Amino acid sequence: MSAAMHSTQSGFARALLDPAQACPGGLHTWNGSDPARRFAVYRNNVTVSLVDALADTFPVCSALVGEPFFRAMARVFVAERPPQSRVLAFYGRDFPAFVEDFPPAASVPYLADVARLEMMRQEACHAADVEPLAAEVIAGLLAAPAQLPALRIHAHPSVAVLNSRYAVHSLWAAHQGEGELAAVAPMLAQAVMVLRVGLDVHSIVLARGIGVFIEQFIQGAELVVAQQAATASDPDFDLVTALGSLLHWQIITALRTGDDDHEHTD
Amino acid sequence: MSQSTTARYASAAAMALALSAALSIAATPAAAQSMDKEKCFGVSLKGKNDCAAGPGTTCAGTSKIDYQGNAWSLVPKGTCDKTASPTSPTGFGQLEAFKEKKA
Repeated sequence: MSAAMHSTQSGFARALLDPAQACPGGLHTWNGSDPARRFAVYRNNVTVSLVDALADTFPVCSALVGEPFFRAMARVFVAERPPQSRVLAFYGRDFPAFVEDFPPAASVPYLADVARLEMMRQEACHAADVEPLAAEVIAGLLAAPAQLPALRIHAHPSVAVLNSRYAVHSLWAAHQGEGELAAVAPMLAQAVMVLRVGLDVHSIVLARGIGVFIEQFIQGAELVVAQQAATASDPDFDLVTALGSLLHWQIITALRTGDDDHEHTD
Repeated sequence: MSQSTTARYASAAAMALALSAALSIAATPAAAQSMDKEKCFGVSLKGKNDCAAGPGTTCAGTSKIDYQGNAWSLVPKGTCDKTASPTSPTGFGQLEAFKEKKA
């Protein structure tokens, strides 16, 4: 691409996202109507379609603050951070951090974490399929207990944990017809695990220590490290329940035992 | 045996106990429910597929013809190859995508 064309295109793209800028020069319309008016229509369609994409991904956030506030906030996000990929399903990845630092939303401190949960559900929905490891293979670990402290796992790609300072799952669930929003105490900390089983995305509330444990373990920490972190954050942490959750939800897709780095994936 | 090695053995034993207990109490895996369904190719009507209708499509509801061979529906396990599919060479739905014959 020539430098001149590159400069023309980036100028066009900037003007598209910033209504304060003038219509780019050199535009012609097929029927002779005013290019500035046509450009304004195009500019509006681009912004509205991106705001619509965010509204589709974050319906609970929108419900919590009301549609006018949400769309105004999304509009600022769109102007500041236009999509870098044509895949709009993942366009909202930067949105929770943006919401966290968006001053007008500061009075709703839990909004960013609700956005995180909604994005996690979106990611889980689109995550790759991977067969979980059979319980018999996991049971094979019992033959060499000395390896257990250094055990690491690979987790199903759909699994993610959010250890929130807010009742993020309850807030979300109240918008799915589970429980009354008025009955939710938003400032109570909650750990949520999101994963996909078959084609269904699940959100599961975890005890605090189990949330810390699973978050660390699925990110590749050794079992003993994840256990210590969990116990430090929650004296009531129970390893049996934590491992039981991993088995019940079939989260483990591969085992790595420390000394040989041998992968069991069958 | 050093203190830390002793501690390591003790924690390994505790972990083995915990894992053993977890394995014995872990109820039916969560996937069991969805396991009793299977992807069945070639049985959905136009636009009614659950997913997978070839490159460039965004899955659900995108099949272009009735009984499209590369579009699937989720059906109860075991029923796929008993579901009639006029486009299928076998005359029934299949567990893999297939090339349609003229219905």
